[in-house]
Amino acid sequence: MTHSLHRLGQKDDLKNDYVILAMLAANFNDKAPNARKKMVKIGEIMKNNNPVNIMTEKAWRISSVISATFDNKMDVKNVLKELKEADLGISIVVEGLINEIKDLANELELNLDSVHLSLGNFGKKELLAPENILEITSMCGHHCISPQSVQYYIELIQKEKISLEKAAEKLAKPCVCGIFNTKRAIEILKQLI
Amino acid sequence: MKIIEERCIGCGNCVIICPVQAIELVDNKAVIDKDICVECSVCYRNANCPTNAIKPSRLKWPRVVRNPFSDVISIHKLTGIPGRGTEEMKTNDITNRFKDGEIGFSIEIGRPGVGTFLKNVNYFTEQLTPLGVEYEEKSPVTALLKEDKLEIKEEIEDERVLSAIIEFKVPIEKVKQVLKIIKSVEVKIDTVYTVGVISKFKGGNEIPIKNVLKSEGFELRANAKINIGLGRKLIEDT
Repeated sequence: MTHSLHRLGQKDDLKNDYVILAMLAANFNDKAPNARKKMVKIGEIMKNNNPVNIMTEKAWRISSVISATFDNKMDVKNVLKELKEADLGISIVVEGLINEIKDLANELELNLDSVHLSLGNFGKKELLAPENILEITSMCGHHCISPQSVQYYIELIQKEKISLEKAAEKLAKPCVCGIFNTKRAIEILKQLI
Repeated sequence: MKIIEERCIGCGNCVIICPVQAIELVDNKAVIDKDICVECSVCYRNANCPTNAIKPSRLKWPRVVRNPFSDVISIHKLTGIPGRGTEEMKTNDITNRFKDGEIGFSIEIGRPGVGTFLKNVNYFTEQLTPLGVEYEEKSPVTALLKEDKLEIKEEIEDERVLSAIIEFKVPIEKVKQVLKIIKSVEVKIDTVYTVGVISKFKGGNEIPIKNVLKSEGFELRANAKINIGLGRKLIEDT
């Protein structure tokens, strides 16, 4: 799906928010020998480079997709460098600030294939949750995180019944893809309490 | 989804977690509004119901169509992948689905977090189909269009889903017409939609469609998804 596209936030916040996704191409390389082994290798590379969130290891072994979230450009660079060197032949997509990814591509001598741009939200926008709540909920690409759960955890934090870290962890739970940036969520929650 | 009333203790966990606000407490019991529920299973998997009162329903046609458009774990028969969409540009370095001079669109109705009736697809398809757009064959939405591709099949038009993605491509010359259609639906539709535009990079990692979008008054977000070109058609056994 459009997955990690349409993550909301200001440019400065998005500097700390990258999603890397690996995907098998149906009928091209998904049935190839060693395809699964290579997906697991990708999962390991992602895991070894400080992701703030990552799809479960169980999913690496069954899913056509592996994704992980990073909070800085250097870790993303290291993942891409290792993936290029490993030369596994599996498609890799990076979501983040366009200019930052282009810079990385130049440094690592990558020939970018294609881009999926976001034109944003349209239609009856009065139905949307407030912008700062959407910055949190839009980090789950399938929109499994409810706006009222964000409000619920804000109240618990204000009453000192839960820590910021625990609240971000709880909010991330419905996002099975591992693309919810818990560190960024903590920063947004700080502004909201 | 259903709540077993005699088990429910009214803790409200499911009310908080429901992404489409379909659950409320009535006389201290959780009640699901079946018209609003999109069968996403988020409450079942994540509410931590202390009495296991939330149970999946055995869905019948046409209601069953709600699940693959809403449940992240559900794998659609056509796409073979989890989620509501297709591989789109994510594997384009291998599939070459979007070629030079072609522009892809993803119009996701109901996103972010509002939901939609499937009939809202018609606002777009009734204008896009006469334009001659090439719909993505593997898209679940394409599979549910009538034969003339002008409208969604009648028996499912009142089904509500978390989001439905119309995926198609056009030659770059038709982009302006598509953008006009996207704008025209804003005043008719009763929900929200997001729009994504897919383009191949040109030499020097340039994005050829950028200026067209800007000249038509569309504001580009600073972040995007980029296929970095590491995929290959075959993976040799090593």
